[in-house]
Amino acid sequence: MTLPLEQKLAAYIAGRLDGAHDVAVDSLSRISGGASRQTYRFRLSWTDGQGAARERRLILRRDPPASLIDTERRIEFEAYRAFRGTAVPVPEMLWLEEESDALDYPFFVAEEISGFQAGPGLLFAEPYVGTLAELGRRKWTILGEIAKADPAAVGLTEVMAPVEPEACWKRELDHWEKILDDDEAAPLPVTRAAIRWLRANPPRPAQKISVVHGDYRTGNFLYDTAGGIHGVLDWEMAHLGDPLEDLGWSLNPVWTFGQGKAGGLLPRAEAIAVWETASGLRADPADLHWWELFNCVKGQAIWISAGRAWIDGGNREPIMVYPAWALENAQDRATLTVMGRL
Amino acid sequence: MNPKIPEVLMELSGLVAFNAQPDVDPADRASALGLTAMLLAVAAQEFDRAAARHVEENRAVRALLARGAAVVADAALAERLRSLAATADEDLRVSALQAANSALRAGLIELHAAVEAVDGAEAKALESEIWSELVVSTERRVLAGAPV
Repeated sequence: MTLPLEQKLAAYIAGRLDGAHDVAVDSLSRISGGASRQTYRFRLSWTDGQGAARERRLILRRDPPASLIDTERRIEFEAYRAFRGTAVPVPEMLWLEEESDALDYPFFVAEEISGFQAGPGLLFAEPYVGTLAELGRRKWTILGEIAKADPAAVGLTEVMAPVEPEACWKRELDHWEKILDDDEAAPLPVTRAAIRWLRANPPRPAQKISVVHGDYRTGNFLYDTAGGIHGVLDWEMAHLGDPLEDLGWSLNPVWTFGQGKAGGLLPRAEAIAVWETASGLRADPADLHWWELFNCVKGQAIWISAGRAWIDGGNREPIMVYPAWALENAQDRATLTVMGRL
Repeated sequence: MNPKIPEVLMELSGLVAFNAQPDVDPADRASALGLTAMLLAVAAQEFDRAAARHVEENRAVRALLARGAAVVADAALAERLRSLAATADEDLRVSALQAANSALRAGLIELHAAVEAVDGAEAKALESEIWSELVVSTERRVLAGAPV
């Protein structure tokens, strides 16, 4: 007999809570979105070794049958752990399960940071709209902190692939071009022209090797009504690389949400200045331009790979269609804009 | 547009039917139907314009490929371009027009890369026209509410 997910999850956690009994999971509900992981919130309750009743709100992040991006869950888990207790706010990671026996697919469990919002759609109306500049300054300050961090000191050189400063750009471009080669369902002449330009005009070597979040954008952090950020989420594409990569992704025009500002929050120049101050690094305009255009290519690869997962039948959820349908053209427009053609 | 619209609509039909059952978790139902609504809105925009857009674009790309065949030095490429330029949109189903569009745009990528490597006024003029067509083709596909 197949047990409900709540019972399977309770059984798994019961084996990992020392001295606990009467472990139960309830109020399990799926959180919308999650094209690369299935995300659920739930309440865990148990009786501890002293007989006291305890409960905690937690998050389950489980791999879907086929994901928008194939990533290493251990790297994501360790990236969260690395920044716990630093200037980069992240939820506490509790358990990582890399086998499929317990819940059919690999997963991890983390604390739920509740009471805040993540969706960009709420930002441009009350009570948030008056706090966008403050939120923007906080956003790029935290990104600067990620760039400034020493990957070895936070323990991530042990789990993330090494890369030399002069090799960052090529490794990333090769990686995402291969995804385009493998997954495109129709030719992408704008993206292919961008790739040719990127290969003909490489950036200078990275000024340092940083932890690159990989998907740092409005929508991937928890914000409040005062412009504060309480958790940076979605580290599934984290890796070591050029810190300008993350800055370029945060400036991708697809994340302007029609507001004409970086991330929908700040004028572009101010966002860059905040990042430079926080990171202690310089965003050379030519190098940053390269990484912005690169991120247009990366974005296109992500959108069309979602469509590919749907076409191949691995994941038929509507969230896999939406990026391919709604963002492919927007990303082409962004690419043309960054190249000065639109 | 990929995944192809008829296939997505069939899948959404099944999803809506499933969510019409009374015992579906409300959060799951809300997520599924919210996304379904967004996809239906995209499909609605594409339904009326798809055939006209493909015919217009295929005609424009064939003209570029025909010109390009006379500019590129690679004889095999020139022959492929001539062959693509000689095709016609006789089957007006969107699926057929889309397949033709993909073949033509694949040729356009080859031509674009080739003319970038060629010096001379004619090649540069053709390159400029290719960029113009890429801009126009991108504008043809704009969706209401797009972030860019």
